[in-house]
Amino acid sequence: MKRIMIAIAAVLLLAPCAFAQSGERIYRKYADADNVSVVYISPSMFRIIGRLPDLDVGDGQIDFTPIVRSLTGLYVIDSENPSVNDDLRRSAVGNDGYELLMEAREDKDVVRIYAKGNEQVVNGFIVFADEGDEVRYICLEGRMPRDEFDRLLSEQMRD
Amino acid sequence: MKTPEEIGRMSPEQLEAESAAQEACVPQDLERRIMETLAADEIASAVPARRPFRQTLWLPLSAVAAAAALFLIFRSATPGRPLRDTYDDPYLAYAEVEKTFRTISDKLSTGTKLVRQARETAGKPREILDKTQSR
Repeated sequence: MKRIMIAIAAVLLLAPCAFAQSGERIYRKYADADNVSVVYISPSMFRIIGRLPDLDVGDGQIDFTPIVRSLTGLYVIDSENPSVNDDLRRSAVGNDGYELLMEAREDKDVVRIYAKGNEQVVNGFIVFADEGDEVRYICLEGRMPRDEFDRLLSEQMRD
Repeated sequence: MKTPEEIGRMSPEQLEAESAAQEACVPQDLERRIMETLAADEIASAVPARRPFRQTLWLPLSAVAAAAALFLIFRSATPGRPLRDTYDDPYLAYAEVEKTFRTISDKLSTGTKLVRQARETAGKPREILDKTQSR
């Protein structure tokens, strides 16, 4: 009985961590902090963007338009606040289903890219770039077709 | 050993004298059995001892932890005030998305560049080996 109660309490305590680190939560946490600039684009705005007749998101070689049309949220946090930076380094990406796709370290700069989803759909994509004094956190949420996402990623990495 | 009929015919004085003349036979382990019986009775009727404080502490602590967890879950699940779009103009939002994708592209390129450098470095020994073998 005692062990069961302790196990239940532990599970309940850990449960909030499971959905504690979504893009929205991170955004809400740091939106009003000093030396932090944030951008939020809502699902409604993405629907409007998707209807723009001259939508052409890309760098000339790669067309991100299909991905953009499937997005439901964009959260960007650009921080030059040391305490926020430390906090982001520790907890920007929790254990909420994101898997590390890539990590690159160059001098003091660290770039980590995470994605979450299943074989058909990518529901979340996070880019975490730590440049020492500045930390940038980009979170894209939506229902991006996995094939499209993988194709863009591989094209981008090939160039 | 006298029969019940013989005992019935005896007077009280004779019975007393007979009883005093016979040696009483006390079972050898009678005292031990009495002590054991008394001890068992004492244990059975004793008031249960109170559990030490540390043994009972887990219950309220678990309850507090569970309550705290439920509060956190409830707070996380309850949507706060709705977020406001940073841009009202879809073209500005579109420009921001484009800028973000460019940043993502740059960051991916950083990783790709490092992989390419590593591949080149890793290929050097093979090149040297191939040259040596071809001679």
